[in-house]
Amino acid sequence: MILEGRDLEVRYPGVGLPALAGVDAWLRAGEFVAVVGPNGGGKTTLLRALLGAVPLQRGEAKVAGLPVASIPRADLAQIVAALPQREEPAFALRVGEFVQLGRYAHLGPFTPSGPSDRALVRDALERCDAWTLRDRTIDTLSGGEWQRARVARALAQAPRALLLDEPTAALDVRHAMELLELVRDLVASGLGALVVTHELNLAARFADRVILLADGRVQAVGTPREVLTQETLTRVFDWPVAVTTWNGGTPQVVPLRRGETRDP
Amino acid sequence: MASAGGLNVRHLCPPIVRFRGRWAIERMGLRQRTCLLLLLATSACLPGDRGAGRLMVIDDARDTVRLQRPATRVVSLIPASTELLFAIGAGPQLVGRTRWCDWPAEAAAVTDVGDGIDPNLEAILAQHPDLVVLYLSGSNAAVAGRLRALGIPVVQLRTDLLESVAPHARLLGELTGRRAAADSLVDAFEAQLATVTVSLHSGVRIPDRQSVFIPTWNDPIITVGAGSFLDELVTRAGAVNIFHDLPQPSAPVSLEAVAGRDPDLILTTGAGAVSFTHRPEWQVVQAVRRGKFVRIHGSQFDRPGPRSSQAITELKAALLEAQQ
Amino acid sequence: MTRRLLFVALFVLLTATFGLSLGAVSIAPGEVWRALVDGSSSYGPIIRQLRLPRVILGFLLGGTLAVSGASLQALLRNPLADPYLLGLSGGAGLGAVLAIALGGPIAWAVPAAAFAGALGAVALVYALGRTSSGRLEPRILLLAGVVTSGFATAIMTALMVLSDAAELRNAFLWLLGGLGRASWQSLGLFLIWAPIPLLVLFTAARSLDLLALGEETAGYLGAEVERVKRRVVVSTALLTAAAVAAAGMIGFVGLVVPHAVRRIMGPLHGRLLPIAFAVGGALLVGADTIARVVVRPIELPVGVVTALIGVPVFAILLRREIR
Repeated sequence: MILEGRDLEVRYPGVGLPALAGVDAWLRAGEFVAVVGPNGGGKTTLLRALLGAVPLQRGEAKVAGLPVASIPRADLAQIVAALPQREEPAFALRVGEFVQLGRYAHLGPFTPSGPSDRALVRDALERCDAWTLRDRTIDTLSGGEWQRARVARALAQAPRALLLDEPTAALDVRHAMELLELVRDLVASGLGALVVTHELNLAARFADRVILLADGRVQAVGTPREVLTQETLTRVFDWPVAVTTWNGGTPQVVPLRRGETRDP
Repeated sequence: MASAGGLNVRHLCPPIVRFRGRWAIERMGLRQRTCLLLLLATSACLPGDRGAGRLMVIDDARDTVRLQRPATRVVSLIPASTELLFAIGAGPQLVGRTRWCDWPAEAAAVTDVGDGIDPNLEAILAQHPDLVVLYLSGSNAAVAGRLRALGIPVVQLRTDLLESVAPHARLLGELTGRRAAADSLVDAFEAQLATVTVSLHSGVRIPDRQSVFIPTWNDPIITVGAGSFLDELVTRAGAVNIFHDLPQPSAPVSLEAVAGRDPDLILTTGAGAVSFTHRPEWQVVQAVRRGKFVRIHGSQFDRPGPRSSQAITELKAALLEAQQ
Repeated sequence: MTRRLLFVALFVLLTATFGLSLGAVSIAPGEVWRALVDGSSSYGPIIRQLRLPRVILGFLLGGTLAVSGASLQALLRNPLADPYLLGLSGGAGLGAVLAIALGGPIAWAVPAAAFAGALGAVALVYALGRTSSGRLEPRILLLAGVVTSGFATAIMTALMVLSDAAELRNAFLWLLGGLGRASWQSLGLFLIWAPIPLLVLFTAARSLDLLALGEETAGYLGAEVERVKRRVVVSTALLTAAAVAAAGMIGFVGLVVPHAVRRIMGPLHGRLLPIAFAVGGALLVGADTIARVVVRPIELPVGVVTALIGVPVFAILLRREIR
């Protein structure tokens, strides 16, 4: 068990309802978990709670068996690599330098990067198909290239788990698929991946397990087939949907237009 | 602080203002313009009939100032002019002065209307003046315009140097109906000045004269140049200002320029101690190491006027004392 | 890269040489060398008592301002940040004016009061910029800096209007900055004061790289974000206040030098900070030499020269960035 959250409760100051209440969540090595749910349902807060980035009112978050609050950030960054949804660098680094920043947790403030660090950075860039971008500055990258560079930086942390918040939000079909195929490959090589996403159909295709969050609570958890049902989704999203299957059982969700029936 | 800044018109016109103003005004050669034209509108008046005639003068701003009759309610916004007005016997006609007008003692009885630069219009108007004497400077131009728009005659004077004393005395005598007194004041003033001045032809060669450094502020170091009253006093007292080559009335200079010019004496104005000279970096100046200081104090060193010959006499005595 | 470093080294050497040999009195470089090593040279006092401490202090101050500016730009993620932003300018001005207004004839009163005023203002900004949970919020810090400076400036202006002492206006000239007041004494004080906060900034270089990506990302990459922010804010404040005490407020070095060096060396702070130190130092020594020479024996406030150099350079950099 890499990440483990029990009975997590988070309240933001001045907000009446809890952002997260009584949530259990966990991530194992070699597992792809998707966190889905409506806007404001607590997806990003869950990710932050698991990383100890927001104070907990109740419950406990553990990383590698230790309470996350007790782990120095640099040690945590060697276990878990997380990419928040928004990241706006102030200065235009080169992609190579940008990915090298993933080594910070291992090197500390002074140690110069050695051959093994450089090899890791190169490996990370190559696995993300970003080696050719290494001399470009990050302000010149397209949306897909930018996300690949960020995942490469996360890999340079040599983590045991990846936490990605809306990694496909601004990507077209091809780049979204490429990115999730990459994550799936990484999971196959033993990493755990927890991906927050709005894309129910992509979650259904790639995830081993889906956590459906709404109103700060877990509405359903299990395999995509268990969670992504017409009844549950219609209730949680408060909008009629139809669920079909693709290629032998993977559920695919079709939101209905007004007046459309569920069975064409 | 350490050296209470002694620019010649410091109370009237603080250093920062002068520093800014000098580019705009001083460069235009305004000092040369100080010689003012004094005209009497002769066409309309007969001899002996002066009170009924019109008075007309041209001031330092080259503006023509006309009065129907001599002014009886004068507001003087320049300490030097206040002194002159008293000296020509026009003191009783004064109804307003600046807070810096500390001479003669009778001036204290005149209503204080505040500052002379950017003055308080309401305080001036409250005195119902029929003439306002204003210091000629960029920041006062708007004030002059507003007073004139209100129908109050304004005369603008630049009272920085000794050469302005005689023409200003005559001009003020004209406007206040004290011509004869002004003429005799000018005669006495010029005679006294000639007596106390150490002439360039007095036999003392320039290299033998004492060289003097005159800091008016120490951090940054500000000194006076040829366009200043203090420089005039020092020259007439028989010494040489080491920054006499600067055309500006005041300017910031570097310590190494002072050290390089190696003055015999350091002349400070004001009552304050010269503690800055104890600082280690000042020890590069030989006169500092030797403790060659001359201190002068009093408003007679701040502004040219009837007391200037007395100021020169005092300065000569102080320089002589420092030499021994 | 090596060529760029050589270029920087040459810049430092040239400005130092000019700084030592030019001034109210021009002295040939050979004579400067003799005055340095041989006590009997007639230029000895000027070189050893005035110019040498002046050039060294100028170099250290320029370097310190550049490093402080670069650090704050990363911390606030705002390329317009300069070292005086967090309330220092207003605080220092108020301190200087107060010292002159209340002043006995004490030579060190003005720098000491400017120093205290600057630190007091930053302390206020720091307190205003802390959230209830103890986090430092960069946006609030910036706003607090602006309002604190404005408030201090208002008090200062009121004092100047109300006070009788026309000398108060000289506080402005003092604040405009100048290395004319440099001495071995002031250099010594700065040398005792500055190394620790400077060291803190240099050791924070890699954390600043992460902070420039955004606080959340920086935390996930392993930076102790709040600790780094506290250290950087406190260190730059201590350094800038000391710089103000030593030479008034010298603008544009802390703003422009980091930008220029980032273009040459890239934005990674491990390289940026030391090179910015060298370039900032050399730039200030050069600007001070110009201030001394261009209208000698009059000395321009060095802040005027850095602005005259800095503003066009900044404008060119901005134009290139837009393109």
